[in-house]
Amino acid sequence: MAAAAAAPTRAEVLALFRSLLRTAKQFSDYNIREYTRRRGADAFRENRALADAQAAAAAFAEGKKHLEVAKRQALVYSLYAPKAKSVMELKVQ
Amino acid sequence: MASIAGSSALSFARPVKAINTNSLAFSPVRKGNTFLHLQPMPMRSVSCAAKKDTVDKVCEIVKKQLALPDHTEVCGESKFSELGADSLDTVEIVMGLEEHFDISVEESSAQTIATVEDAADLIDKLVAGKA
Repeated sequence: MAAAAAAPTRAEVLALFRSLLRTAKQFSDYNIREYTRRRGADAFRENRALADAQAAAAAFAEGKKHLEVAKRQALVYSLYAPKAKSVMELKVQ
Repeated sequence: MASIAGSSALSFARPVKAINTNSLAFSPVRKGNTFLHLQPMPMRSVSCAAKKDTVDKVCEIVKKQLALPDHTEVCGESKFSELGADSLDTVEIVMGLEEHFDISVEESSAQTIATVEDAADLIDKLVAGKA
């Protein structure tokens, strides 16, 4: 088993966070985009103080899995983009 | 060149204002505006301070992201850590700036941003490089 799963470095974690936010930007649907951003930020913030290296590595692997899911979903959603924009996206007149 | 300024003066009722708006319209476009020096352009070789508008816009976005009360003093020299932002907040702020200015910040450049001034400088460089 991967007993030597080293804790991710600070740079790696930030890079993962950035990729997640970038992927979130690709969603055309307002709701999903905001959810991905919010959930991603919450999850990272929740796990920021993990002292245990193994727990940190596990959380990092989870994050990577979720990133893959988000990327796939961004692709799928782009195929079936809704025609109408959400009301939250209308500029204040 | 004098004729262009002259003809625009003739076609508008208030020539002084017309010349001003013309120069403002041309100043983002660098080519061929050597005769209009009404707005000092920051040269890329000399590293002067970032444009005031950019700094203000960055301050606004930072305040919104960190949910700071309106009267908080955010100036060019403010460090993000002093304002209560951790590295995750910094990443989010950089993403917000990317979206607003429609630029793409590199990984390595983003790691080095520590103050509002850094961010504004980087934005100006990227915007100028894109234009």
